[in-house]
Amino acid sequence: MADSYSRDSEPTTRTLLRRVLDTADPRTPRRPRSARTDVQRALLQTPSSRRLRSQTKMTARRCSHRARSIDRLTHVQASGHLEEQTPRTLLKNILLTAPESSILMPESVVKPVPAPQVVQASRRESGRGSLELQLPELEPPTTLAPGLLALGRRKQRLRLSVFQQGVDLGLPPSQEPHGNADASSLTSSLNLTFATPLQPQSVKRPGLARRPPTRRAVDVGTFLQDLRDTSLALAPPDTVLEDTQPFSQPLVGRSPSVHHSLPCPSHSGAKDVERAASRRTWSSGLGLQNNGAGKPAQLLAGKVEEVGALAMGFPNISSNISGKDGIEPLQNGVGEEAEERMEESLREVEKAAEAQGSARAEEPEGHIEVTEAEGSWGAVEAKEPEGSSGDEDTSGRTASPELASSTPEFLRARRLQFLETAPPPSTAVLPSEPPEPLSARLPPKPRIPGSRPRQDPYKTGLNHYAKLFSFYAKMPMEKKAVEMVEKCLDKYFQHLCDDLEVFAAHAGRKTVRPEDLELLMRRQGLVTDQVSLHVLVERHLPLEYRQQLIPCAFSGNTVFPAQ
Amino acid sequence: MMEEEKGAEEQQRFSYQQRLKAAVHYTVGHLCEEVASDKEMQFSKQTIAAISEVTFQQCENFARDLEMFARHAKRSTINTEDVKLLARRSNSLLKYITEKNEDIAKFNLERKAKKKKKLEDENKNSVEPAEAGVVESEN
Repeated sequence: MADSYSRDSEPTTRTLLRRVLDTADPRTPRRPRSARTDVQRALLQTPSSRRLRSQTKMTARRCSHRARSIDRLTHVQASGHLEEQTPRTLLKNILLTAPESSILMPESVVKPVPAPQVVQASRRESGRGSLELQLPELEPPTTLAPGLLALGRRKQRLRLSVFQQGVDLGLPPSQEPHGNADASSLTSSLNLTFATPLQPQSVKRPGLARRPPTRRAVDVGTFLQDLRDTSLALAPPDTVLEDTQPFSQPLVGRSPSVHHSLPCPSHSGAKDVERAASRRTWSSGLGLQNNGAGKPAQLLAGKVEEVGALAMGFPNISSNISGKDGIEPLQNGVGEEAEERMEESLREVEKAAEAQGSARAEEPEGHIEVTEAEGSWGAVEAKEPEGSSGDEDTSGRTASPELASSTPEFLRARRLQFLETAPPPSTAVLPSEPPEPLSARLPPKPRIPGSRPRQDPYKTGLNHYAKLFSFYAKMPMEKKAVEMVEKCLDKYFQHLCDDLEVFAAHAGRKTVRPEDLELLMRRQGLVTDQVSLHVLVERHLPLEYRQQLIPCAFSGNTVFPAQ
Repeated sequence: MMEEEKGAEEQQRFSYQQRLKAAVHYTVGHLCEEVASDKEMQFSKQTIAAISEVTFQQCENFARDLEMFARHAKRSTINTEDVKLLARRSNSLLKYITEKNEDIAKFNLERKAKKKKKLEDENKNSVEPAEAGVVESEN
């Protein structure tokens, strides 16, 4: 390894510093190590993080990580040599922590790096207290030198860190350590260790304190199982999130009460209904105030499908879940009173239904709420859809325990059997009607519940927004939460575009124009009589977009955009 | 003077609003009573008050939205199209409204047809005697 280096006659800042440091007498590394290491590690962290930001290339980062790890090890070593913190030690620490990999020449750097790394690892081990590797310790600082020197040399030619520039100005050159370093490097190359090099990834972003991505070997069996689960879960989530009817406890869908209430919709192309339901529930989610019981019907219809599929696919699992739920809903069904709770449970129910769809028993509580919602929804269906129905909810809730208890059995039953169960009062007819016009209205998309690849094109564009969301959340987010966010965004944008289309058609146009968007924003409450669209544009958009939206006078007596 | 007028106007509007709210409350109370007797479940006063308040607010929203929709379609009169746009969120409501709209349209058409027939008959009647008169006079 040392042979690969050629003697560098010209003194670089790094070499000079190295020489200065190497001239120090080696002492037992163990004595002040513990006290030193912490300080030095802290020192290490900040420069390394600084370096991270400045470096943009992966290769450079990798090499720098390795170099950093080496540095750290040397650091540990070097700390033992000096008893107190002197400017020299500080400089040395900084020097060591500075990334020594060159951006342009990663290959040449790679070779020397592992070797010193290995040596460093051995030193580190010895630092921990093992007596066996005491002997090589004497050499370590010098061993490092050639590697560092070579790296530093290359790096110096390509890029000068701010510190190094300062160092250049400050430190006097010294030539002596150089020769010693080269001589000792030859001997150190013979040292071998089996210690694994330090994982540099943990240093990556100390400020963010995130775990490095764990990579496990993919188990084919579990992977296929997951595929099946998610494919089944795909259909339910769409319908689950769809219905946002306000006092809809509609979400439920899973339970047999759904089937009770909607025997008819399942007849008419269940898939269309599901699709329609997904569209509807999505819209109802936004328009909480204007909901009737119509939407819950679709959601339930969609859920019927899913439940059927689920029941056929995983009867055992669902029975397990339903068994749990059968007991719990009874307890909780009576407990819930507030209407707001129902609305909140909508969200939870959605999640629960989704989880249920994937045949996971992870969220029994959500399931409880789902069943509760189902029960109350079933009762609500019996009443006319009105603007507010707090009383309906309470009466529905009393009915929910009974319905919930029947859930377990129904989950096991086949879909056809669901349809055969006696439908609830005539109001069931009313909910069943909306799905049909809906399916007629929307272009029926052939959706196969369980076609996993099909879902991706809908969600790929939302990946970006979901990541933004998780960034602004400032907290680590579960993967499921991110998926939920994606789904919500999907529904939101679908609804948005539907509205825009309707607005344009309302004005007798086939193209969506800014006036339609202004109307939409007005409905959303963003644009009011006090706050106009221009004000919002000025407030939030950068200048480039503002120029395109707000007419401005330009030179030559022109106005852009033209009115 | 102007301020007094404005104040008086405000007062008037406010009292008018209160009267409207009272009317809504009364109607809501009646409807709730019907439902209560139907379902054998009582409504508390607070519930009725809450429902009427919400209904009133919603009516205001509807009115504003309808005006926006009409203006968006460059009309100065609110149309059934605007109402249908407003009700599109709720499927059952939309269906109901569409049906009602069709019924009304049919009714109007029938009426118009009747009226037209009547007019034609009248014209014929008036024309025939005139012709008869002319013929007689000619003769």
